[in-house]
Amino acid sequence: MFDLTYLKLPKIREGYKNIWLRNFLHFKKTFMVSFFWVILEPLMYLGAIGYGLGSYIQTINGQSYVDFFFPGLLASTSMMVPFFESTYNNYTKLTFQKIYNHMMLTRLDSHEIVTGELLWSTFKGLFGIVGLVIIGSFFGLVSEWQILLVVVILTLNSWIFAGIAMTITSIAKNYDSFIYATSGFLIPLTLISGIYFPISQMPLILQITTYIFPLAHTIELCRMLLTDSWHWWGYLHIAYLLILAYAFFLIALHRISKKLIN
Amino acid sequence: MSLDTAIEAKNVVKKYSDFVALDGVSLDIKKGECFGLLGPNGAGKSTLMKLMYCQSLLTEGELYILGLNVKTNFREIKSKIGVVPQDNMLDEDFTLLENLKLFARYQQMEPSTVNEKIFHLLRLFKLEEFANHQIGQLSGGTQRRLCIARALIHSPDLLFLDEPTTGLDPQSRLWLWNFVKQMKDMAGTIIMTTHYIEEAEELCDRVAVIDHGKILAIDYPATLIKNHIGEEVVEFHSNSVDLNYYINRLKENKFEYQVYHNMVLVFIKPEQNSRILLEIIKSEKVTLRKPTLNDVFLKLAGYNLRDV
Ligand SMILES: Nc1ncnc2c1ncn2[C@@H]1O[C@H](COP(=O)(O)OP(=O)(O)O)[C@@H](O)[C@H]1O
Ligand SMILES: [Mg+2]
Repeated sequence: MFDLTYLKLPKIREGYKNIWLRNFLHFKKTFMVSFFWVILEPLMYLGAIGYGLGSYIQTINGQSYVDFFFPGLLASTSMMVPFFESTYNNYTKLTFQKIYNHMMLTRLDSHEIVTGELLWSTFKGLFGIVGLVIIGSFFGLVSEWQILLVVVILTLNSWIFAGIAMTITSIAKNYDSFIYATSGFLIPLTLISGIYFPISQMPLILQITTYIFPLAHTIELCRMLLTDSWHWWGYLHIAYLLILAYAFFLIALHRISKKLIN
Repeated sequence: MSLDTAIEAKNVVKKYSDFVALDGVSLDIKKGECFGLLGPNGAGKSTLMKLMYCQSLLTEGELYILGLNVKTNFREIKSKIGVVPQDNMLDEDFTLLENLKLFARYQQMEPSTVNEKIFHLLRLFKLEEFANHQIGQLSGGTQRRLCIARALIHSPDLLFLDEPTTGLDPQSRLWLWNFVKQMKDMAGTIIMTTHYIEEAEELCDRVAVIDHGKILAIDYPATLIKNHIGEEVVEFHSNSVDLNYYINRLKENKFEYQVYHNMVLVFIKPEQNSRILLEIIKSEKVTLRKPTLNDVFLKLAGYNLRDV
């Protein structure tokens, strides 16, 4: 019989806040490096794709290309930042630095550690999102109040990809695993999720495939909100994202716990 | 279980998939005791200790720390113990002082008490001048002192030291020995592992000799030596031609002995006389000496602890 207790969220104690705090204190030390990494890269994409390439495109779905592209870029940032944090960085903490083992010497348990780390990755994603929103507003790309709702959706997306990344970290044998995950999964995902062109342009099989993953749902929700074209099926997108958020949280909790106490 | 029991292990088994790292370990450690786990590399010392400090899951058996079951009360146990793991596990992204502060946070200490406690530990462990150094800049000895300070930050009832002096310079080792003795004077309970005989003899009230995941003997070092070896040891070297002759003579005179490469150790019991022996052996390299725990180990495990 399938064990349903596995689907129940274990009790998460408040110690996760101190894990988050540890990362924040470290982040303060290396603030500028993070800032460049998190903000500069999407900014380059905005220039090169949004304005550079976009200037050759008249309109897309009745919008200028850069208006179409910007929500996609936001979503991609909200995915990339926590993904890299919870793969490369968290793997280093798990293996070489043994920071989780070190935390386990205290009364902290593995669930608090994983929760704190995922929340940190999500926060870093939010940091990138907000930075990009501010930059976008300078370019006149952000004017609707709905951007606040968009930020909430993007944060949810960050949380999901933190969970996915942590799950990959729990499987990884070495850093090469992340190269495969990036070029075999993450980059292709950005190409089929409607960041650069509408999903409807793709063959049906790719359209179906892309909706398995959270990114396309996130982008669709952001576009709906920013173009005032809300549909009831937006709630389905949200529901699906919430399910993924829960699922990967659980998987990451269980898998990393097994690594920390075996 | 009596109130003064710190640790109680019953038939503890630990398997890593098919590999049996601990094979039915039972022991009792009393409060106020300095208890040593003595054995060569790979014996299972760290594995046993990890089970005790709740970083590893029991495969079989029962294990109680301060009356609490490791299977269910690991969180409470971890709040009452201090651990110095074999590899220091310091947070290299932070300074010495920040490491202590973070640890106090992880232990969820009352914020008002933390600064005073840290100040006290820095002074006690001679760490003040390094407080703002990055971990990578600290010497091995300083890192070790920091680890002990860190383990004591929440005033634990029980201190675990996993190979506290391995890789340390002689000065740091002496300092550490001194520290353990002071802890003992204050009736602190310490569980330590080591593969240094002198260390176990110097510091431990009782030792468990462990190899291949099994406990070979548990007792006071002096008692172990007395029961397993006796009063004195005669050690001599012999070429392989004469070896058989000597062994036969030893047997005739009912001496207990152990052959190790071309070295022979003869264990002299209280009722025996080492004089007779010295007449039998004509080797030039004969020494008469006090027995050590190493002789016990050699007899129980069949090889020299100094070799590992
Ligand atoms: N996580 C692990 N997975 C598999 N084997 C392990 C693990 N940890 C320890 N071992 C094995 O268990 C044995 C005992 O190890 P350990 O307790 O570290 O020895 P000691 O501390 O006495 O040197 C060794 O053979 C070691 O290789
Ligand atoms: Mg060890």
